[in-house]
Amino acid sequence: MQSLRLLRTAALRAKPMSSTIRAPVRRGYAEAVTSDKIKLSLSLPHQAIYKATDVVQVNIPAESGVMGVLANHVPSIEQLKAGIVDIIEEGGANKQFFVSGGFAVVQPNSRLSINAVEAYTLDEFSLDAVKSQLAEANKIASGSGSEQDIAEAKIEVEVLETLQAALKA
Amino acid sequence: MAFAWKQAGVSYNKYLSIAAQAIRKSLKEQARVAAERRSGNELKVSRWENGKQQEAKYLGNSEQ
Repeated sequence: MQSLRLLRTAALRAKPMSSTIRAPVRRGYAEAVTSDKIKLSLSLPHQAIYKATDVVQVNIPAESGVMGVLANHVPSIEQLKAGIVDIIEEGGANKQFFVSGGFAVVQPNSRLSINAVEAYTLDEFSLDAVKSQLAEANKIASGSGSEQDIAEAKIEVEVLETLQAALKA
Repeated sequence: MAFAWKQAGVSYNKYLSIAAQAIRKSLKEQARVAAERRSGNELKVSRWENGKQQEAKYLGNSEQ
């Protein structure tokens, strides 16, 4: 009914002599949001793993907890801790990267930028190396070193335990 | 547990470098060598006086 009326007013406004009367292009809110994909950029100081690539969902290990980011997420900045960034690509393929921590910036218009120092897929890690480091870090953390040394060793323990759990899963 | 390191005076920047170092050391041989070569830094300092460079002083590398 309304579109009929619109057509008629358009026709009335059109010059009487013009033979081609086109209906005005209507643009609604639903059309402005066309994509349900999020553009992901995953960058390291030495490499860009993803460069504004369309993906479906990204799960990030934020300090405040693991969060999933879909298209049209509320803009926010999240500090990351060491953990797995889980990327669900178009077509359902799933990719996992273990990142060292960094920042994830959810920008308006469905853009997500993740900056990290290091990011590797799980198959690039050696479980034995993780175990031997973990044993060493645990020794320092429970030893009688300075407060600084113990705090640093505890960070290592936390990172390595997360990594170990990820590798075993 | 979260931010326990912050109470010990460790900055987030330091946290990141420790985490990144732990990750690099956990890699398999081939990737680890490539990563460690990339992560190394060296620092040299020298003063300029009267338009001439004075003796360069080596301040060490990131491994030390």
